[in-house]
Amino acid sequence: MRAGARWIRADLRARRGQAVLTVATIAAIVAALITAATLLEDSTNPWRGLFSQTNGAHLWVHTKDRPQVVALREIDGVTQAAGPYRTAPVTLLEEGRKAPAALRAMPVTPPEVARPVVAEGGWLTSSQPDGAVVERSFARALGLGVGSPVNVTALSGARHVLYVRGIADSADQGFYPEWTPGLIWVLPEKLDRIEPELGRSEWVTGLRLADPESTQFVSQRVVVMLDEEVQRVYTWREVRDAMELDNRLLGTLLALFGIVGLVAAALALANAAGGRVLAQLRDLATLKSMGFTRGQVAGLLLVEHGALGLLGIALGVLPGWLVTWLVLDRTAVALVPLVAITAGTALVVLVAVGLPAWRGSRTPPIPAAPSAPPRGHLSRLAKLALLVRLPPALVLGARDAFSRRVPAFLTTFGLAVPMMMITIGLGVWATLDNFLAHPEQVGQHAQLLVRPVKLTPEEAKRAAQLDPGVREVYPGADVDALVPGVARSIRVRAIGGSGAPYPFPVAEGRMYADRGEAVAGQGLLDLLKVKIGDRVWLSVGGTPLIVRIVGRTVEPDLDGQVLSLGVDSLAAKDVVPPEFWGLALKKGADPADVRDRLLTASGEGLEIQRVVNPAERLSIIRAVIVALIVVLALIGLANLLTASALGLRDHALDLAVLKAMGLTPRQVMATLVTGTGVLVVLGVVLGTAAGSFVVTSLIDLQGHTSGVGAGIGRPPSALTLTVAVTAAVGAALAVALLPARRAARAQLGTYGFSANQ
Amino acid sequence: MTVLRTVNLVKIYQNKHVPVPAVRGVDLLVDEGEFVAVMGPSGSGKSTLLHMLGGLDIRTSGEIWLDGQRADTLSESAWALLRRKKIGFVFQFFNLVASMTVADNVELPALLAGVSSKEARARREYLLDALSLTERADAAPAQLSGGEQQRVALARALANKPALLLADEPTGNLDSRNTRDVLRLLSEVHRDGQTIVLVTHDARVASLADRVVSLLDGQIVDDGRIARRRPGRGGAGEVIDLR
Repeated sequence: MRAGARWIRADLRARRGQAVLTVATIAAIVAALITAATLLEDSTNPWRGLFSQTNGAHLWVHTKDRPQVVALREIDGVTQAAGPYRTAPVTLLEEGRKAPAALRAMPVTPPEVARPVVAEGGWLTSSQPDGAVVERSFARALGLGVGSPVNVTALSGARHVLYVRGIADSADQGFYPEWTPGLIWVLPEKLDRIEPELGRSEWVTGLRLADPESTQFVSQRVVVMLDEEVQRVYTWREVRDAMELDNRLLGTLLALFGIVGLVAAALALANAAGGRVLAQLRDLATLKSMGFTRGQVAGLLLVEHGALGLLGIALGVLPGWLVTWLVLDRTAVALVPLVAITAGTALVVLVAVGLPAWRGSRTPPIPAAPSAPPRGHLSRLAKLALLVRLPPALVLGARDAFSRRVPAFLTTFGLAVPMMMITIGLGVWATLDNFLAHPEQVGQHAQLLVRPVKLTPEEAKRAAQLDPGVREVYPGADVDALVPGVARSIRVRAIGGSGAPYPFPVAEGRMYADRGEAVAGQGLLDLLKVKIGDRVWLSVGGTPLIVRIVGRTVEPDLDGQVLSLGVDSLAAKDVVPPEFWGLALKKGADPADVRDRLLTASGEGLEIQRVVNPAERLSIIRAVIVALIVVLALIGLANLLTASALGLRDHALDLAVLKAMGLTPRQVMATLVTGTGVLVVLGVVLGTAAGSFVVTSLIDLQGHTSGVGAGIGRPPSALTLTVAVTAAVGAALAVALLPARRAARAQLGTYGFSANQ
Repeated sequence: MTVLRTVNLVKIYQNKHVPVPAVRGVDLLVDEGEFVAVMGPSGSGKSTLLHMLGGLDIRTSGEIWLDGQRADTLSESAWALLRRKKIGFVFQFFNLVASMTVADNVELPALLAGVSSKEARARREYLLDALSLTERADAAPAQLSGGEQQRVALARALANKPALLLADEPTGNLDSRNTRDVLRLLSEVHRDGQTIVLVTHDARVASLADRVVSLLDGQIVDDGRIARRRPGRGGAGEVIDLR
């Protein structure tokens, strides 16, 4: 339809700014949704992809001695086995940082099952005996490239240099640093040279199963068969969970923002299209009088407003894809969510513009009378306000704000929703800040972990106690335990004693107070399907251990699947001497200073590890929050422009009257700004209130599902909220001011409304 | 040949369940090339009548025949198609599409009727030239004076060479000089054979027509042909024509 095309072109030209804003808003939302979907999809996909690429093993068993692989392979459900490979713990020294690593012996020909896939460089060859292949996430974390030298220190203290021959992907374990130690493959002969002592190494065997669901059954058979030989068992589920650790939280957050943003954008679009249609009713009537049918008018509006939305989608897909590709370093964006998002957004766009288009098409074709706004009348409240001599501009503006109910609602709601999301974003920010400011509230009371290297444990303890920055020294040990009915090992963290318990942040129940009592993270309670008060039977290195769970802690590590108890609850062989000392610092003491002092005092005889705050790991969320606030502000702005355009249109007729009544241009402007401002303030305040109301429970819900457990959510501070509200209202009023100013100064036409709006 | 015929045309508005008759049984016959002025005071139903004739408003009862075709039974869309080809409208407030240029406003009906862009442009150029608006072709309607806007509206109404031109108080919003311009144009168009039905409450405007139909309370109270000789050169009749 050439006539329609010409009309659309002319209309778009007349409101270029609004059109660009609409496109930008939709594009930003789509980009956010795609990024979110990629992160979410990716949180399971790297494992899925890697697992099939490497023909991975479902079950991994660490044993003290070389196991009978033939026997293992004969277990029902096992199809193939990888290894056993000898593996030895070493420490990497890279630019002054120490990183734990496991050297795994592998032959020159990579195995069929759990085969590392070389991404860069090449696989081990006998022509380069000191060559090593490093797992990709480990190499990236340490900044290793092909050809880099790697300094490794064996348990004996002997140092060796390896050269990176290749970098490979593997589904054998999670990504570093979420999963430690990092993985390095070397030739068996090289491993024998670095760690000749068989007692200091383990044997790792991978089992590939016919049915992944039979993992639990097979794992129990393996544990029974190998009995005391078993050091540790883990399954593909654990590897998958470890790989999705960070991205899941981020993805959920983005998806939440994206979906609410989509709703907000739909509102903004409906509001913009609806406002435009209202402003154009006369033009539409003219078109109909010229012979446009109802369907043609509806089609015209649908095409015009829909095209803006679709253009936004098209423009959003590209940056969304670029962001996932460049920032997140993912090569492939999954096709299904991409198509789903595109189609879903398109549907939302069409529905959002469909209603105003339909309404526009119903306009009677008699264009004679300009559409008059519903007349409001002064409410009793407004009369009272005038009586007590409130400025008339305020009273009139406030009255005008609600003269059109539906747009007033759309404007208020359209601002409240982005504001609510901004408040939630600020709440997440505040929660992260709280993590950093109060690490003890997330179970990181001890900020430094000290492991004796050259000193005896007692000497290490004494050195730590002597330091002026240290408040308390807790003995601690991390052990792996097997639980009947659970396919894999769980982490048991013994720290403090029942006499001097380590101050775990107990969110429910109580702290352990006696031997045989323990507290657990939400993730562990969910995993074992137990609740507070239940008894749990464990096996630690072959020694049975029965504990009663008396409380739930906030546990940011290992998806919350950690059992915490006093060292005296474990058998002496596991905790005497303690594996490490946890140092709680005095208020204001800098962990880095204390670390340096201790290292100097002990003559480098200690290995001191700083506990990584989960907030540091999640710092990318802050960038995401800032980006989302920009998107949301854009949506709010789009709504606001519609509201003020509509307000001006409705009140163009009143302007002459107001001026005739003796209002100065300034007062007229104030009236117009108040009309929009009342809705803005209402929307912003409502949104902020709703946001602060839900933010704590929302973060706690997220905490619960990610295993950290409820009790971490913090609402944004009153100051932050005040600043956010002031900024939003201020920006909104500034935006409303410009058109109002122009309108108030404009010379009015002879019949009270300007034809060109 | 009859261009327009109405039989007992009735329009009753429902105002909060109280029937308000606006047009009460109008029988009107307009021949090809005729210029009919419908006069009457405000509220006499003349605009309603005009809107019904163009299908902008639906009749309550009665018949409308346009170009020998019955039109009152048409659906809204069929009316729209009919308007495209056969009816041109001129309104009191011009109703130009504000976001489009003068040229686009005039070409729009032709494009809508499916004429090629080239033809539409040629027709527009001819019309704007005839109405001496050529140099304003690229202006926005808001930049034009009222008289110019109404001339553009007239050009738009004539774009498809309609069988019937309906004008609703075309000079109601113009000063006397612009009124004179627009009326001069209307008579020129009429001289070229255009059938016109014009609604006005201004006797001076009505006097231009061949025939004046007076409407009061929705009924025709007078239907008089103005006996008019073609202005002769220096004839005695000129004295009578100069009112």
